[in-house]
Amino acid sequence: MSALVLFNYELDESCYKVRLALSLLGLDWQPVAVDVFPGKEHLTPPFLAMNPAGRLPILRDGDLVLHGTEAILAYVARAHDPSGKWLPPDGAGFAMVMQWLNFSARDLGITIAARQHSLFDTPGDETALRAASSQAIRIMDDHMTARGFARAEWFAAGHATIADIALFPAFALSRDFGIDHDEYPALRRWARRFRALPGFKTMPGKCK
Amino acid sequence: MSTGGNWHPVGLSYSIEAGSSAGTRLFGQELVVWRDTSGMAHVWEDRCPHRGMKLSFGFVRGDHIACLYHGWQYDRAGYCQYIPAHPDLEVPKTFKVPVYLAQEQGGMIWTTLSENPPPLPVDRDQTVPLRSLYLDCSAGAAIAGLGMVRLMPFASGALADTIVHRLTDTLYAVSTGDDRLLIGIQAISDTRTALHLAICGSPKLYEGFGQSHFLDWALQLRRAIEQPSPQALAARGAAAEMN
Repeated sequence: MSALVLFNYELDESCYKVRLALSLLGLDWQPVAVDVFPGKEHLTPPFLAMNPAGRLPILRDGDLVLHGTEAILAYVARAHDPSGKWLPPDGAGFAMVMQWLNFSARDLGITIAARQHSLFDTPGDETALRAASSQAIRIMDDHMTARGFARAEWFAAGHATIADIALFPAFALSRDFGIDHDEYPALRRWARRFRALPGFKTMPGKCK
Repeated sequence: MSTGGNWHPVGLSYSIEAGSSAGTRLFGQELVVWRDTSGMAHVWEDRCPHRGMKLSFGFVRGDHIACLYHGWQYDRAGYCQYIPAHPDLEVPKTFKVPVYLAQEQGGMIWTTLSENPPPLPVDRDQTVPLRSLYLDCSAGAAIAGLGMVRLMPFASGALADTIVHRLTDTLYAVSTGDDRLLIGIQAISDTRTALHLAICGSPKLYEGFGQSHFLDWALQLRRAIEQPSPQALAARGAAAEMN
């Protein structure tokens, strides 16, 4: 029995976050391929019925249909990770994860726009997108530099959480939109550790 | 600053883990800095001779680096040793990546684009890594900014003046009392500069709290250089005139 169904587009980095979570948590799941580009299938009535905002990913678990990347990550961790590690239950641990999920949803949105502009020629000012993206990624590098001095190797806890999953693709895929890894040494170290997690999967593209 | 015979820092030793690589630039020239699994650091031209792909996108395999595109593998001397599409081929010696000298000192990886460089000045001090700062300014402007933020003491605790020392064209130090930071100057291009910061002293004394203490200074310095206050700008102008 495979209850979890992910409506998935292979080249969508938000879908990649959920694929990563499902794989890192070792869950059984089934993908349903959605023809986003060029078919715009995610904007057709059956998909708008599941997410009126017209975005992927969408996750179905039995009767529950969820949209919103961070909500899906939080749900998968809370409902399907008995260890509680991926979304710590204690107040501070939970809040630290939420802080970085929020950063991912809000501040890293620009990196998704930059990547879509670069890959799919969606509208946007390339220079401005790149500048804002590198600013957001630098905030992550500063955080992980400071964490390193406190002997903490992950964004929000002493181990990997869904915060790391939410943040990983923006950095790993940054070369798709012209931002190299040269100037983010703390993120390079973190990404190396992340790629060594059991169950890690790559994304099509220059994922490093 | 001359591009010629100098040694130039291209990163903190700590930032390039064994079995990993990173791209960088020196005077606009693209370089890959990589460390083989035995721990030896290498600085090469960042370009696979096959199709021009950046080697810094590739993967370190033991004492080889492999290109991401077609997996061509190069040994420590830069010679191509293996081409996956032609596994039985004896690879011609002409398939070679230009290799530069690489040495480690003061917690930094140094290279030179010269074939006959002067010896790298010996500094036996122990260091603890701090961080690298990447700035949108010339090396000269970054150097002029080094004294902009007061360095607060960590080891001695007593307040003292912040003093900027020029050790070589590419290595400075900022000190206060018993505390001293080494600052390697990397001219990435005419308008982009990296400062590689390391704390002089033992890990026992500085690891952890000492690093966090000086990280504050580093971030304040970056802010000051990126968004100089009118007073700081005036002070820099005066200092530049004195030099």
